[in-house]
Amino acid sequence: MTETTAAVRPDARPVGSDVPRDESVLQVRDLDVHYGRGRRRRQVLHGVSLTVGPGETLGLIGETGSGKSTFGRAVLGLAPASSGRIVVSGEEVTAYGRRQWRTLRRRGVLQSVFQDPLRSLDPDLTVADSLVEPLVLQGVPRAEALTRARSDLARVRLEDDLLDRLPGEISGGQRQRVAVARALVTDPSAIILDEPVSALDAANRVQVLRILQELRSAGVALVFISHDLGSVAGIADRIAVLYQGRLVEEGPARTVVTSPQHVYTRLLVRSAPTLRGGAADRAERAELRALLGA
Amino acid sequence: MLRRVLSLPSGRLAIGVLVLVAALAVLGPVLAPQDPLATSGTTLAGVSGSHWLGTDNLGRDVLSRLLAGSRVSVLGSVEVALVALVVGAVPGILSVYLGRTIEWLSLRLADTLVALPFLLFAVAVTALLGNGLTQAMVVTGVLVSPLFYRVSRAATLTVARSAYVESAVVAGASIGWVVRRHVWVKVLPPVAVALAQTVGTGFVIVSSLTFLGIGVQPPAPTWGGLLASDLGFLAYQPWAPLAPALLIMATVWACNVLADVVRDVSGEAGRALVAARGSRPPTHPSTPRTSGGVS
Repeated sequence: MTETTAAVRPDARPVGSDVPRDESVLQVRDLDVHYGRGRRRRQVLHGVSLTVGPGETLGLIGETGSGKSTFGRAVLGLAPASSGRIVVSGEEVTAYGRRQWRTLRRRGVLQSVFQDPLRSLDPDLTVADSLVEPLVLQGVPRAEALTRARSDLARVRLEDDLLDRLPGEISGGQRQRVAVARALVTDPSAIILDEPVSALDAANRVQVLRILQELRSAGVALVFISHDLGSVAGIADRIAVLYQGRLVEEGPARTVVTSPQHVYTRLLVRSAPTLRGGAADRAERAELRALLGA
Repeated sequence: MLRRVLSLPSGRLAIGVLVLVAALAVLGPVLAPQDPLATSGTTLAGVSGSHWLGTDNLGRDVLSRLLAGSRVSVLGSVEVALVALVVGAVPGILSVYLGRTIEWLSLRLADTLVALPFLLFAVAVTALLGNGLTQAMVVTGVLVSPLFYRVSRAATLTVARSAYVESAVVAGASIGWVVRRHVWVKVLPPVAVALAQTVGTGFVIVSSLTFLGIGVQPPAPTWGGLLASDLGFLAYQPWAPLAPALLIMATVWACNVLADVVRDVSGEAGRALVAARGSRPPTHPSTPRTSGGVS
């Protein structure tokens, strides 16, 4: 095995090399997460360190079970960190209890968008009710919340007449854009997007990705979690690669995609579908898999 | 929910029967043509102008006793269902959120209640607390509560880890908010089904307990008590148990039909069913009614 870590070029990606920045929206240091108890206890994340600055988009990629979603859940306080340090908007949240998390969340600095657009909206609430919920939780009067929700609906290119509909009455692409609008209503500093386009068809995927690019331009930090390198590469400033719960490579998106250093990243890049898709690619992938296995 | 229930013919029929039973419970004692406790010399009389449903073995008017006994029978069964609902459903929902210790304790308590022999326990508690309808029904409600505990807990578990609940939590929702806003609506249909079934079962339980002399003491009339006394004189009046038996059957049937209707009209499938019946224009996710961009 020739490459186990990626500290090859200083400009590219010493693993976890992100320098702590005072202005960072999100700082994660040496994060360990375990699931289960007793004999079933299993470590899912091993010492992951990442930093996201304001308006920056970090793509987090890896295969199923690599710990990408767990990372997002830990940052959102939905999965407890076993050790390490998580700082959100300058506030150390690692040891936060339920009440402290609630106070932080109600400030609306951190929001999320989940993969399944059908399940990320309550099927019994109208689009309007789902959109205003984060604001109502902040204590904003419903009428004012609705006005703000309307403007965010326009940001994701949806019309007002959807407000009275139930999620089951709109398409998957519209549902996912509603989920993005819901994440925007509190003017968050950062949004964790867990596979936001995986369940969408090509046309809707392009539309949602375009909306995310606009958000990035507007200064919202994004953590874009995906198994699809193609979706991430087009939008991320930096890409981090998780493999079996470990951060194996991190660097500017272009560098990671064009000259991947870690074997697993190279395998990911080579596995992206191409029109060519010839026998040479297959042979190379087999070789990389063998290397990875070793 | 009521609008959706009433949109189905079976729902309207079940509600109609139950409204009739409720009216009997409220107005029964007033409508009774004679004193339900007054005895006369004409025992085991057949149907006549003065006794529409005949008389029993002590010469009491059966129709008057049926009407007068409606209130106790209905109140008893409703009491069983409500006690079971409060004692079972509330801990069932909260057990998902209040940590492992409370979850474990409440699960073991529910298992224990299921394992208790119902009649023996009811007899023992009424012997301890006194033989009254309230005591008997509270005991029965507690013993039936594991059904509500299991149903509400299972429904809550399916919702508790859904993406929209997690989105609400990320937005700063408390447990109370999540339960009120997202969980309760999803738990309500299966709980409503269990409630309707329990009201039906409650009638049978009240009747069974009265049959055994637990809860209501003779000569106070109940539907179950009438059935019990009529069964003792089958050789003389084989048709006599028909009236109380039909009342009990009709009420239990209406409760069960209502439970089925509540289940049928709940959730997405229920909405589609009601829409298909014309109360709302049918919609489909793939065919949004207005444009909203690419879909």
